[in-house]
Amino acid sequence: MIKIKEYVNLRTTKQSSKVRGLSALLIPLLLVGCVTIPPNIFVATPQLLQQRQLETRRYDGITEVDLITAGANVLQDLGFNLENSETKLGVITASKQRDATHGGEIAAAIFFAVLTGAVMPTSKDQTIRVALVIRPVTDSNGSAMTDKYFVRATFQRVVRRTDNSVSSETLNDPQLYQDFFEKVSKSVFLEAQKI
Amino acid sequence: MKLLFPVLLVCTSLLVGCATTNQRVLDMGDETQLQKRSYQSRTFETGDKEKVLRATISTLQDFGFIIDRADLILGSVSATKLDGNMIRITVSVRSKGSDRMLVRANAQFNVSPIEDPKHYQDFFSSLEKSLFLTAHSGE
Repeated sequence: MIKIKEYVNLRTTKQSSKVRGLSALLIPLLLVGCVTIPPNIFVATPQLLQQRQLETRRYDGITEVDLITAGANVLQDLGFNLENSETKLGVITASKQRDATHGGEIAAAIFFAVLTGAVMPTSKDQTIRVALVIRPVTDSNGSAMTDKYFVRATFQRVVRRTDNSVSSETLNDPQLYQDFFEKVSKSVFLEAQKI
Repeated sequence: MKLLFPVLLVCTSLLVGCATTNQRVLDMGDETQLQKRSYQSRTFETGDKEKVLRATISTLQDFGFIIDRADLILGSVSATKLDGNMIRITVSVRSKGSDRMLVRANAQFNVSPIEDPKHYQDFFSSLEKSLFLTAHSGE
């Protein structure tokens, strides 16, 4: 009887050391594996072209200086702080930090916690960034036309959750860009009237 | 138990293969400076620095990047793309003589440098289209 027990013990320790050995082998191997870079980072896709349509508007009959001033004013209207600018190239970058708590998300987290007992992190705060770029409209020869410009704005946000993990995304809601460019148009009008 | 130690030793020795701080700072890997420059650079037959920079900016925007900063005098543009992963790129434009521009780009994906020449090839071929000019390889 004792012999059998010893034998069983021996087997289980042997097996568990095997398992341990195997996991010791596997875990560092996982660590060694490098991040794979997706193959087509710099390839234009239909989605990217669609995004370009969304983010771009054309303004005629205004100088570049007036247009970029109008753009900077709108960004301030929206509460952004200017980060960088190079007016010679028509570039403005701005950002702001805002609350990111979302009622629906918190409700879902509570529901999840009640069901499973696990705490699900929810969005805490976010940094919203925008790049506003003005470029001249070009004719068929590729040379710039006078007082005709494209304005392109891209919004991105980095969201921090309650467990301090972050996620990031480029915003692509057509309504957002629609509303934004309405404000730009209004600002262009005010700029033209020198109000 | 007897087996565990050698296995652990072998596995952890794989981890030791990671780069030191100096290697990370200098980031040269197996490539020489010249190799890196050759796939990261192209020349364009134009003397118009502003035109090249504006085309670079709009190309980067087309790829979904946000322009972080740009400088006409220095001829540099830095941009970031966020879509779950982070991609950062810096492009510099320098004049070579009076009628040629050298464009050079370097990029990183999350925490690793982008070293596959294919990505730079893709980038420059888009820049070509936006500039209406042909890119010539190398310095």
